[in-house]
Amino acid sequence: MLRKLKEKIFLFSIAIATFLTILPLFHILFSVFANGLPVLMKGEIEFLTGKLAPPDDGLGGIGPAIIGTFLLTFLASLIGLPIAVLTGVFSAEYPKSLIGKSTKTLLLIMMEFPTILVGLFVMNILVLPMGSYSALAGALALAIVMMPYVAVYTEQALREVPFIYKEGAFALGLRRSKVVFRIMMGMARKGVITGILIGMAKVAGETAPLLFTAGGSSRIYFAGLDKPIGAIPLLIYQLVQQPYENYHQIAWGASLILMLIFLAIFIPIRLSIKEVRL
Amino acid sequence: MDKFKIALLPIASTVFGIFILMLVIYFSASIPIFQKEGLAIYTTNVWNAVEEGEEFYGVLSAIYGSVYTSVIAILISLPLSIGFAVFVIDYTPKRLKEPLIIATDIMAGLPTILYGIWGAFVLVPLLRDYIMKPLYEHLSFIPLFSYPPITGYSYFSAGVLLAIMVTPFASSIIREAYRMVPRVYREGAYALGLTRYEATKILLSYIKPAILAGILLAFGRAIGETVAVSLVVGNTFNIHPSLFSPGYTISSLIANQFGNAFIYRYMPSALFASGLALFIIGLIVNVSGLIILGRWRYA
Repeated sequence: MLRKLKEKIFLFSIAIATFLTILPLFHILFSVFANGLPVLMKGEIEFLTGKLAPPDDGLGGIGPAIIGTFLLTFLASLIGLPIAVLTGVFSAEYPKSLIGKSTKTLLLIMMEFPTILVGLFVMNILVLPMGSYSALAGALALAIVMMPYVAVYTEQALREVPFIYKEGAFALGLRRSKVVFRIMMGMARKGVITGILIGMAKVAGETAPLLFTAGGSSRIYFAGLDKPIGAIPLLIYQLVQQPYENYHQIAWGASLILMLIFLAIFIPIRLSIKEVRL
Repeated sequence: MDKFKIALLPIASTVFGIFILMLVIYFSASIPIFQKEGLAIYTTNVWNAVEEGEEFYGVLSAIYGSVYTSVIAILISLPLSIGFAVFVIDYTPKRLKEPLIIATDIMAGLPTILYGIWGAFVLVPLLRDYIMKPLYEHLSFIPLFSYPPITGYSYFSAGVLLAIMVTPFASSIIREAYRMVPRVYREGAYALGLTRYEATKILLSYIKPAILAGILLAFGRAIGETVAVSLVVGNTFNIHPSLFSPGYTISSLIANQFGNAFIYRYMPSALFASGLALFIIGLIVNVSGLIILGRWRYA
């Protein structure tokens, strides 16, 4: 009797645990929509293109932050992707060599590395010498955050290519670089692209690495690579801490936009593959 | 060595270069404060930021807050993530399995600032009115509940928010391990006439190392989280046993103070030293998690 009762209690409690685990997701989605949608409706197209309103005076727009997020993500990809993909190739091609093996370990460690520390690091090596926050510094910080994800995905995708294809390519007398870039990369295409998209989705939503690098900009769209630039997550972080009611509303609206951008990249990837690592 | 390897080597080494450079920068930038205060930067709770006169910094309260909030997060997240993993693998109808896993994957990747704004505007008021206030009113003689929850921004709020954020991640590690338990163990357990509860207990004991690794990696993630925590933890220099007291964490300290640190002589260095502490704690926790997980997978 007691054993049966224990079993009932057990089943009940893991069902509750499951419910409690995913409940916050729906609460967050609901809250962001419920608070953000009215702002978007009220702000109309101006909200996407305009500049930040003064305190306690309407909504204005978050145009500079949206442009900043796209630009930073693009620049970070430009810096980070080539290095990341080639690093992934290296650790997939030479898994037994000391450097290959330790590269893999290091990448896994860097995936879990606190991103605020990356921001502080870039501040020290780039912002201090240049004397100003800049788009370039923000992009470099994001590139460092992005690299391990893309590299790990590339490595896994290459490893999953059946070995006979590689053997066949070598048997044709191709050089190793041709084997990797023409044959292997072609076959591992899907995994590599997934990794790239995941890395981009990840850094588009990052706040902490940008705090002391990008600097933020809510009224100037783009002033140059060596000048401060805005980003949606950064803007939300700054607005939430302000005491003004209209700034909180703008923050909710910006959250909705950020969430839509994230879901638009993430859900198609997630549905097309089985497992995601974030 | 072939040419291809030699050509790729410098690029693969870039990642190492960045990592080592980071370590070097954190050490060298911390030197001024170590020379001035020695280890007192880690062992005292003082924040004397003055432009004229004697500056003194001790970040003990931030270290305390980081550990405190992350421990709260782990304690909440552990039963949830194990429960979720077991339920999804063993007891969820097939049609629901994939949606549940997708939901947690979305949670693991969701931009943390969204947790932050939700935490600050939605979660904190809820926790304050429905959990913190009743506990304080009835049980304030217990030190854990002894701080009046006026604003709600506290270790507890940060811990709960972190728990929500890291549970999907921890449970994905536990889930993968639990799925790999060989089928015969399960069959054997049921053949002995065990109830589902008893069988699950045995199966879970088989993946103990993976659970431990999940906890460690989740702890590492929680302790490094910045923006979401800094919006709900209260940002006060404080070492208080109560869950409901506001405090600081290392990362929220950096996020809050670094912007205007450069008008003071030693504050940047003090913040880099606290970053170094976070660097090292994070490194130890994550590396041990990865080692335990790697060993278990290998076995």
